[in-house]
Amino acid sequence: MVTKTEETQLNRLESQVEHGGGGVWEYLCLVRKLKVRRSDKVLKHGLSILNDPKKRSSLGPDEWTLYEQVAVAAMDCQCLDVAKDCINVLHKRFPDSKRVGRLEAMLFEAKGSWEEAEKAYASLLEDNSLDPVIHKRRVALAKAQGNMLMAVECLNKYLNIFMADYDAWRELAEIYISLQMYKQAAFCYEELVLSQPTVPLYHLAYADVLYTLGGLENLQTARKYYSSTIDLTGGKNNRALFGICLCTSAIAQLTKGRNKEDKDSPDLSSLAAAALEKVYKQGASDKLPILTLALKNLRVSS
Amino acid sequence: MGFGLAIGVFGVLILAHAAYSTIQYRGLLKIMEEEFSGPPVNVVLELALGLVFCIWAALTVPGKFLSIHPQSEENRIVSLPDNVDFMMFNHRGKLFSSELDLKLKR
Repeated sequence: MVTKTEETQLNRLESQVEHGGGGVWEYLCLVRKLKVRRSDKVLKHGLSILNDPKKRSSLGPDEWTLYEQVAVAAMDCQCLDVAKDCINVLHKRFPDSKRVGRLEAMLFEAKGSWEEAEKAYASLLEDNSLDPVIHKRRVALAKAQGNMLMAVECLNKYLNIFMADYDAWRELAEIYISLQMYKQAAFCYEELVLSQPTVPLYHLAYADVLYTLGGLENLQTARKYYSSTIDLTGGKNNRALFGICLCTSAIAQLTKGRNKEDKDSPDLSSLAAAALEKVYKQGASDKLPILTLALKNLRVSS
Repeated sequence: MGFGLAIGVFGVLILAHAAYSTIQYRGLLKIMEEEFSGPPVNVVLELALGLVFCIWAALTVPGKFLSIHPQSEENRIVSLPDNVDFMMFNHRGKLFSSELDLKLKR
């Protein structure tokens, strides 16, 4: 989870590192802690530490963590030579390590030799059949080959064993969305909302899925979840505000013939519209006319 | 920090002194064979002062208060971590690989 404070800290460190202001190791640690994917920067600055023997030895045992981080970043940037060199250094230091074996298998993946990667993962699983990371890598392998159904099957099997792994639930939800299986995706997001009810982004994603599904009941639930997102973020999430406006407009269109009174909260959408207008006035006043026009078309701003 | 700690120690000392005064007053009552009507004024005053000082020290010394509001800057989650366990490598980044010319030196 990346909070607002951590995000500003990360951005500050990133610009500092990019302009050569030092703090590279702190930046790399933060990237690792927040699990963000900044492979190009990690590769560039991580290598600059690794190529400097003095800086490298000052890290102590963290040096090996950095080798691993840089190796994965290098694979992500397709700098396979660098990745191979890093893995060789790690292999020399830890000859029988499973973790290094995983990196080697990932290198096969990066090269695109799927069969060898699959074989490597299978042999790693023989030693420890309940290694969660390797199960996840197999899912990623299936996904990388474009075999989404296989990925879903693997991930479902994995979630049968590791039900508390919410990152995996999120991955499954995203795969289902890419396959347009929204009902299943909604189920995954329900799990996520249940396991971490204070994370507004799960509420938001669940509401998005429900809105996409459509239908009066789903739309009403979606509006509730957009509202809870606003509640949890203090109204600082524009997507949720737009979601409220869209849901209200869609509900109004569905119930037009029946002339049913919207008894829940009649001024919810006008409040959301007012909040949006305020945000745009402060941040992007030149875009305000476009927003007003869009809201008028949705017939939510009174 | 040091100032707050000093106040806290001072508060505890005042409380201890109040306890000592109470025992003394009790002994005095026994000697003079009087009925207990209420605690003396100086003990009540010391108790109140000690309480205030101790509370103040306990609230300031251990550290800063953290926000519990979900919408505060420290708690508001703006993005979820990229699922690095499920990272794939065959993406369009392949096409930009020639830009970076890096090497691991030995």
